[in-house]
Amino acid sequence: MAIFDKETAEKLFGELWTKMIKETEFGKKLKESGITILFEVNDPDVVMYVDENGPLFGKEAKEKTPVVTMKMSGDTVHKYWLKKLNIPKALAMRQIKAKGPVNKVLQILPLLKPGQELYPQYCKQYNLPTDI
Amino acid sequence: MDYFDLNTNLSKEDRDLRAAAREFAEQLMRPVSIELDRMTADQVIAENSPLWDFMEHAYKLGFHTILLPEFYGGQGMTPLQTHLIFEEFGWASFGLSVFLIVACFPFYCACMTADDELVDAFVKPFCECRDGSIRGCWAITEPDHGSDVIAVGEECFTSPQMVGSVQARLDGNEWVINGQKSSWVSCGTVATHALLHCQVDSSKGFAGNGICIVPLDLNGVSRGAPLEKIGQRDLNQGEIFFDEVRIPKGWMIVQPDFYVPMLDIILASANLCMASWATGLARAAMEEAITYSRDRVQGGKRLIEHYSMKQRIFQLFGRVETSRAVSRSAMELNFNMSPPFVEYSLWAKVQCTEAAFQNTHDAIQIWGANGLTKEYIIEKLFRDARSTLIEDGNNETLARHGGHVLGETYPRK
Repeated sequence: MAIFDKETAEKLFGELWTKMIKETEFGKKLKESGITILFEVNDPDVVMYVDENGPLFGKEAKEKTPVVTMKMSGDTVHKYWLKKLNIPKALAMRQIKAKGPVNKVLQILPLLKPGQELYPQYCKQYNLPTDI
Repeated sequence: MDYFDLNTNLSKEDRDLRAAAREFAEQLMRPVSIELDRMTADQVIAENSPLWDFMEHAYKLGFHTILLPEFYGGQGMTPLQTHLIFEEFGWASFGLSVFLIVACFPFYCACMTADDELVDAFVKPFCECRDGSIRGCWAITEPDHGSDVIAVGEECFTSPQMVGSVQARLDGNEWVINGQKSSWVSCGTVATHALLHCQVDSSKGFAGNGICIVPLDLNGVSRGAPLEKIGQRDLNQGEIFFDEVRIPKGWMIVQPDFYVPMLDIILASANLCMASWATGLARAAMEEAITYSRDRVQGGKRLIEHYSMKQRIFQLFGRVETSRAVSRSAMELNFNMSPPFVEYSLWAKVQCTEAAFQNTHDAIQIWGANGLTKEYIIEKLFRDARSTLIEDGNNETLARHGGHVLGETYPRK
C-alpha cells in the first residue's frame, strides 16, 4: 500500500516546497542554479513542476519545460525526505530515473537538504509513518 | 587545426570553451605529452617532470572538475561542452587526458551519495585544489582479472570461484582491505585517492563486489613501480597494494546489492570519455596526413594530387566525422540521463577507438618511412591509439557486454 494518496501528496508537496522556497536558503540556491525540476511521481500519480517561484501541479506543470525531469514512486519520495534512501542505490536500481544533465541532477540532491529537516513535522501533521 | 563543426548551432559559450581547450591542448598539453613520451616511466613522475606543471595549469583552469556539479565547485558543463573540450584533449594527448580526468573519479562518485561527510572530506577539497596535489584513480583492474571484472551476465561472474585480488571485510565500523590492484591502474603510483573495487562477499563472485573511496596515504597502502609500455607513455600506471588498510564503514559507497548496475553507470561514463578522446586522436592523425600529403611530392606531384591518396584522405575524414557523431550523440544521451543506457557508451568507445587506431595506422602509411621515425608525432599517435583498444575494457569484452545488455533490454523505452 502506497504511503500517500494523491490528494495528500499534492497538498503535502505543495506546502513543503513552498516553505522550502520561501523560508529556507533552498529558494535562493535554486534560483542561482537555474535548475527547474519536473517530478513525475507514480503511486500515486502526481506531476509537479518546481522553480524559484514555487510548485505547480497537473496540467500547469506538464506545460513547463524543465531542466531536469525526475521519475520515482511516492514511497521513494517519502524515503528520500526521511533520509532513508540510499541515493546511489536508488539511481542504480532505477528507483529514481532522471533526464537532464547529470551534473545538474547531482546538484539537486544536496540542494534539497532543507526539505529533509522540515519533513518530519509534515509526517506528524499528515499522520505518515516514519519507521519504514 | 580548426575544423568545421556539423553542429552549426554551437553557442558563443560553446565556441569559446572549445577555443580555450584548444589553446591549452596546442600550447601545453601536446608539447608536454611529446616530452613525457620520450622519458622512462620513472622520469615521467619524477619531481622535476613537466607532468606536474601540466597538472597545475590544468587544475588552475578548472579542467579537473569538468564532470562535477557547480554546487561543489565543479564546472557544470553541458554534455556537448564536455565533448567539445574532451575532443581537444584527445587531439593533444590521449594519455594525459586519462591522467587528468581519472583524477576526478573518486570524487565524482562521492557526489552521487550527497553524503555530507564524504562531500566535506573528499569532494570539496578536490574541487578547491588548484595545484594538482589531489588526484584520484580508478582501481578496478586486477592482476588475475582483466576482462573478468566486467563479465556481467557470464556464469563465471557470479561464481564463488571468482576470487578477487582485493578483499574487504567489515570489522565493527571499519572495512579492512587487503590485496593488490594491477599495473594498469591509471595514475596508480601517484594518486592520492582511489575509487576502489573490492570483493566484499566472495560467495557471489564479482557480483559480491563493493566500491569504496580510499585515501592512499593510509597505513598499509604501498605502490609498485610505474609501468613501462608501448603507448600512452605519458600516462602513469602502476600497482597499488593494500595490507590491512582500514577505512570507515561509510566510505564503502556501493554494496554488492547494487554493484552490478553501478558498474554499468561508471563504465558508461568512462567509455564516453574514451570515445570523445579517441575522436580527437583520430582527428590528430587525419590532420597530420592532410598536412603531409599537401607538402610531400612523389612522382612529380604532391601526394594529395594522386588519385588513390584523395580516397585515402577521405576515409580518414569519414572516420573522424563518424566518431564525432557517434561519441557526441552517446555523450548527449548518457550525460543527460540517470541511469544511462550503457550499450550506447560501449558502442561509442568501441567504434571511436577502432577508428582512431585505423586512422593512425593509415596516417603512418601515408607518411611512409617518415611515419616510422621518432622525429614526427605520427608513430606516437599510433602507439597511443593501439592502447585504447584494450584500455577501459578491451573492445571484444565491451562488445560482449553490450550484446548481453541488448539481450536484456532491447529496445529501450
